Amino acid sequence: MHATFNRLGATLGANGLLILFVIISLFPVYLMFITSLKSQAELIQNVFALPRNPKWGNYPLVLIERSYYRAVINSLMLAGTVTIITIVLSCLAAYAFAVYDFVGRQLLFVLVLVGLMVSEVSILIPVYMLLKSWNLLNSFVGLVLPQIALGLSFGIFLMTTFFLQVPKDLVDAARLDGCTDLQLLMRVMVPVSIPAIGALAVIEFLWTWNSFFFPLVIATRQDLMPLSVAIIDFMGRFTFNYELVATTCVIMFVPILILYVLTQRSFRRGVTMGAVK
Amino acid sequence: MIDARGRLGPYLFLGPAILYLAIWVYYPIAKNFYLSFFTAGASRSDAPQFVGLANYQRLLSDDLFFRALMHNLAWVALSIVIPVVIGLVLAVLLVERRARLFYAAVFFLPVTVAPIMAAIVWGWIYNPTFGALNQFLAVVGLGGLAQPWLADPATALVAVNMIGSWGYYGFCALIFLAGLQGIDPEIYDAARIDGANSFRRFWSITLPLLKPTLVFVLVYTIIGSMKFFDIIYVATKGGPDNSTQIVAVYMFDLFIRQGEQHYAAAMSMVLTAIILVMSLLVIRNATRRT
Repeated sequence: MHATFNRLGATLGANGLLILFVIISLFPVYLMFITSLKSQAELIQNVFALPRNPKWGNYPLVLIERSYYRAVINSLMLAGTVTIITIVLSCLAAYAFAVYDFVGRQLLFVLVLVGLMVSEVSILIPVYMLLKSWNLLNSFVGLVLPQIALGLSFGIFLMTTFFLQVPKDLVDAARLDGCTDLQLLMRVMVPVSIPAIGALAVIEFLWTWNSFFFPLVIATRQDLMPLSVAIIDFMGRFTFNYELVATTCVIMFVPILILYVLTQRSFRRGVTMGAVK
Repeated sequence: MIDARGRLGPYLFLGPAILYLAIWVYYPIAKNFYLSFFTAGASRSDAPQFVGLANYQRLLSDDLFFRALMHNLAWVALSIVIPVVIGLVLAVLLVERRARLFYAAVFFLPVTVAPIMAAIVWGWIYNPTFGALNQFLAVVGLGGLAQPWLADPATALVAVNMIGSWGYYGFCALIFLAGLQGIDPEIYDAARIDGANSFRRFWSITLPLLKPTLVFVLVYTIIGSMKFFDIIYVATKGGPDNSTQIVAVYMFDLFIRQGEQHYAAAMSMVLTAIILVMSLLVIRNATRRT
């Protein structure tokens, strides 16, 4: 009897804890959405509930009148370009690591892994100077180039572990059929590794979309700012327009939310593949 | 012909990536190290002057740097005690549930929210006039605890860490869940037959077998906690009264606002070295005991 009560208590406790964390996980996101639809006055009187008269007009106001559609385009272009280039460079390098044994393989792989521990903070100053001397500050190319470097090591690492799992027989058979390296990569390795490439793509896109540190320093001109920097810039000028700041946040979050809902498995794979090896 | 391709092939494929890393990662690190031994000339047109270790000596007597470093270390500790432990507990609760992927997906949602956005939204939650937290405390009869969480030096660091924790426990839960699912269930059955209770099973089976995953999460947490920037920059800018100042924000300020690039370079060099040493210590300790 006592044991059953204990079990019951444990189950209740476990479910309670899980539900508590569901609420904690969702509440700030919910708050962001409802704040974007409220008026200043309602914000203070009525914190938790849905807005009484949703102000949908905040969205066209921010997107069109305040030209935030430009930041959306900037972010899409930035994250898209960085993701594509990262995938191409990662697959090429991973192919060499996975298929060949060559002089310096170990050393080069360690060098790539070192890149995993390097943060934006450690390279900010020289990167800034480099971009300045090449006249790339406040340019799209200047935003793209250093951003790729931040995820490239992860990409190579991820794709190498995946390419190594491709059965050797498959590689040998393709070789016997007279496949060149490029054909082997494009017709065998890449098609088999679509799940891994998808995982890398969504993670890289998310990282770049949410990135802030480099863009903050590199894009100081408003028409070049990606959403992350544009929101902080907006906040600096309209600190107390909470509902409009919330609107910009929702605009930044919705594309990620859609991506997340549609490609959940890829997200899960991307996050856990790097960790559990 | 085939042989020649065999010898050149891998380098051709590696070339672009390595060249890329060389320009944007290895060279900047070397350059950063180099810069840290100089100081700006007296006027803008003067060349930088070599000063040896002077920038590093200045670091040793910079109280704000040590305060910032302490806050980073406190952030490491808080991040291990709060989101990592929560993530582990959630993963253990989830591993045998059918709906585990649904829960994991919900818990992971905050991880997809940009840190700057988390900082903004939590800034509202903590707001003393219309903040949800104080209002919630009032509703449950704890109104006396209400305070300006981010504006009081006594609570600011922990309050701001909660923002980071919110965006991190879902990540930990997902990774621990994957680690737990990799453990053979038969080991548990054997232990159950031997009469081991659930706590005992967790302590002597789950934890040891989860070690590689734990090491990964610890190293990842350390690196993340030492280098993070976004949340502090947006939520408090290091204030009030430097109570949430961290190395990355201090360094950014020195470089961008005060133009002290050489001193800032020395600071980021020390930060990089500390991250490296801490990570290696965790990894070495973990591999020695097995």
